[in-house]
Amino acid sequence: MAEKRDMVQIDSLEKYFGEDKERVHVLKGVSLNIPEGSLYTFLGPSGCGKTTTLRCVAGLERPDGGKINIGSQTVFASGERVYVPTNKRPIGMVFQSYAIWPHMTVAENVAYPLTIQRRPKVEIKRRVSDVLKIVGLDGLEDRPAPKLSGGQQQRVAFARALVNEPKVMLLDEPLSNLDAKLRVQMRSEIKALQRRTSITTIFVTHDQAEALAISDQIAVMHGGKLIEIGSPHQLYSRPKRRFTATFLGLTNLIAGKVLEVDGDSRPGKMQTKKGILSFIPAPGLKKDQAAVISIRPENIPVHKEKPHSLDNVVEGTVKEAIFMGDAYHCKIAVGDDVLAVHTHPFHSISPGEKVYLHLDPKSCNGLPADDTEGIDESMLGD
Amino acid sequence: MRRFNSQTLILIGATLFVLYLAGVPLLMLLYGSIRSAPIGEPGATFTIQNYVKAYFDKEFYFLFLNSIYYGVGTCIVTFLIGTFLAWVSERTNTPFKKLFVVMALIPFIIPGILSTISWILLLSPKIGLINLVIKELLGLESAPFNIYSMWGMIWAESIHLYPLVFLLMSAAFRNMDTSLEEAALTAGSSTFTTFRKVTLPLMRPAMFSVLLVIFIRGIEAFEVPALVGVPAKISVFTTKIFLAIHQFPSDFGLAGAYAVTLLLISTTGVLIYGRITRREERYATVTGKGYRPRVIDLGGWKYVTCAISFLIFLLAVILPVFVLLWSSFIPYYGVPSRELMGKMTWANFHYILNYPLALTAFKNSFYLSVGSATLVMLLTSVIAWITVKTKLPGRALLDNMTFIPIAMPGIVLGVSLIWVYLTLPIPIYGTIWVLLLAYITKFMPYGIRAASASMIQINKELEEASLTAGGTWFQTFRKVILPLLMPGFTAGWIYISIIALRELSTSILLYSYNSTVLSIMAFDLWEGGQYTYVCALGVLMVLLLLVMAFTARRLGAKIGIAE
Repeated sequence: MAEKRDMVQIDSLEKYFGEDKERVHVLKGVSLNIPEGSLYTFLGPSGCGKTTTLRCVAGLERPDGGKINIGSQTVFASGERVYVPTNKRPIGMVFQSYAIWPHMTVAENVAYPLTIQRRPKVEIKRRVSDVLKIVGLDGLEDRPAPKLSGGQQQRVAFARALVNEPKVMLLDEPLSNLDAKLRVQMRSEIKALQRRTSITTIFVTHDQAEALAISDQIAVMHGGKLIEIGSPHQLYSRPKRRFTATFLGLTNLIAGKVLEVDGDSRPGKMQTKKGILSFIPAPGLKKDQAAVISIRPENIPVHKEKPHSLDNVVEGTVKEAIFMGDAYHCKIAVGDDVLAVHTHPFHSISPGEKVYLHLDPKSCNGLPADDTEGIDESMLGD
Repeated sequence: MRRFNSQTLILIGATLFVLYLAGVPLLMLLYGSIRSAPIGEPGATFTIQNYVKAYFDKEFYFLFLNSIYYGVGTCIVTFLIGTFLAWVSERTNTPFKKLFVVMALIPFIIPGILSTISWILLLSPKIGLINLVIKELLGLESAPFNIYSMWGMIWAESIHLYPLVFLLMSAAFRNMDTSLEEAALTAGSSTFTTFRKVTLPLMRPAMFSVLLVIFIRGIEAFEVPALVGVPAKISVFTTKIFLAIHQFPSDFGLAGAYAVTLLLISTTGVLIYGRITRREERYATVTGKGYRPRVIDLGGWKYVTCAISFLIFLLAVILPVFVLLWSSFIPYYGVPSRELMGKMTWANFHYILNYPLALTAFKNSFYLSVGSATLVMLLTSVIAWITVKTKLPGRALLDNMTFIPIAMPGIVLGVSLIWVYLTLPIPIYGTIWVLLLAYITKFMPYGIRAASASMIQINKELEEASLTAGGTWFQTFRKVILPLLMPGFTAGWIYISIIALRELSTSILLYSYNSTVLSIMAFDLWEGGQYTYVCALGVLMVLLLLVMAFTARRLGAKIGIAE
């Protein structure tokens, strides 16, 4: 993708909630740049600061430190005491509850950003009908807002956010109030809408599948800090941080100590309880550092007999094999550990069998062991 | 740089206004009660003489006992009537119970001064209709009832106040989790034991708070003590304060000392009430689920409860309304007879509508009622936004300040405002503006209650959506918050405009010729012995009230969302 200029720049954002003793540090120096025209997702568990960051961009929260630019305009800078109020920022926002005003019709809701600017009636009418066409609600102009279904309400919320042609669209978990089927449908509609309008969009979610499906870029957040930024593909297959590997999808972690490493392009070697294993190192991983190898369950081929020509082979016993239709989900005991392995449904596999697992070095990501303090181990694999 | 924008200005303005309205009268009252001479007179010093004079008068103890007697008596009578009707309509299968709900609320719309007058016309030993009819029927020498007695006063006050008990007790009955009772029944206790051991204890906090509210309202009452108590020479605090100011020369210091005493009693009541209701919330039997109250099958007794309810209906609604209507159409006061029926006339209405002051009084009352209701609701909507939606420091204090006037009896507020506007260099004493400020102060607590309750229901994202759409705070407030607040706003507006139109106890100390209001005019006509004219005026007042309530309801439904 060609380099584009950044539409939103967030620099060392700090935010506290509460007063005195109950003060909680919710944003700990978050910095990130959002390229123009991209669909950018803030992903993380609840309480990670993703919504707070979004609300700081919207101006609904006032940060305690840092700087935010939208386009070429500085909307917040703690040093220069700049704070542009929400209503003066070039944004459109879709709320988790949609926040459709129940005392107005569809058209009145959507026209609101224009009416408060006292635009001419003709222009308002035209732009409202254009934007309703885009979201597929044309013809419903005069419907009172309370008489809309959940999906329709969401489209109205989008239309209202779009109508003023904002520089940035802010979406705060817009799919979480829909039922599962509609959620998947609206997910692709949001993506299509964003492609069509090419408005820079920030999408906040705690749902990793949603984030993977929709985003150009994902910023993974945890405990008020930015953990890692990357494309869905990068983050899933080549995470650089242990938290990313465990939060996005299912993975196996094997703890060890780095024996050799030479940059991040050549495989390194790690001493683990399962012997010496080769891996692809994360940037900055050093010799003798405590580390983990992360390997996804679908990337572990299972052999019934010991393959001789391969590296990184470990021996294990099948504890559990559940047929899922598209795969067997197995739990395989290797030494004291149990690894999750997904195998192809053609190869039947049953508990008690002795098997050999090929931990292909290309699929083994070597990550620092202690990069995210305080992560609950129960989050690993679920 | 942070600049002052419309939001900051409105918020600061509203806050300062509330502080001024609630705080200044209180301070001036305390100050005035310890000054030796009326304000403006030179040579005044600080003194405790007013309190000495008040407390070392032996009449003070009669006064105190009378007030307590009156308050407690009113509690008992209203509680019996109100709770009975609430129980009948919520928990029994009595026939016509829907009708009783409507009728229980009718006395609410009749101004206190009119209901007092109607009971004098019914129970006065000389001219009371009921007395005359019973004397005639039974051939009695003397009248069986006398309104000019303590129990006569309590009766007149109770008929006026019982709808409040009815409303509060209905809510208590409705919100009770009946599975608690059913649990007792399945555990083997009889219906009566269940009532005694489970229902009553569960209702106790609600009952106690209702009694407290009525007690406070009883000792604050002015209309009945002034119209019945003064001729009967039964003094209570409110009439004593009124007389201290209306005698010549006025004794403002003494009125102040009495007013502070009354204020202490009512404040204590309000504080205890606050504690109880807070505890009630903590041990709530109300969980927000829509319980379907268990309806008790009364069997044959349901005809008895129905008959009693109709009797209450007759006494509380039909007789007073009838006597007002009847008196408004006859040339001189008398028992309905064929002779008097033949003389029925529009002359009383004609007289009122041509009475020189009447037009002024109608206009003043209307402006004050609509003006104070609108301003109170706008002001309290802003205050409710601050106290509910923001995290500003001091918002709890602001909430409490808005609530202070609830503890101020009308007559005490009147005394305080006399002090304030005789002292401060604001030239509004004796104008309609001082009445407007008085009404806003007095009705602020009702407004904040209605506004906060609605404000809590508005999702914060609804207003954030307006901000992100480019709306300023002011636009957001006007276009999003106010319309969403409309149901609560209208309810509060209707209530305040009704009680403002019948306000007497504060106005009577603050009015002048040009700022006369309807209730004052009724009071003056009554004092002048022009009974039939008063009744015609009263009928017109009630009609105006009905029209206003109806119009407000329609308008509110159009602007806001239908509930």
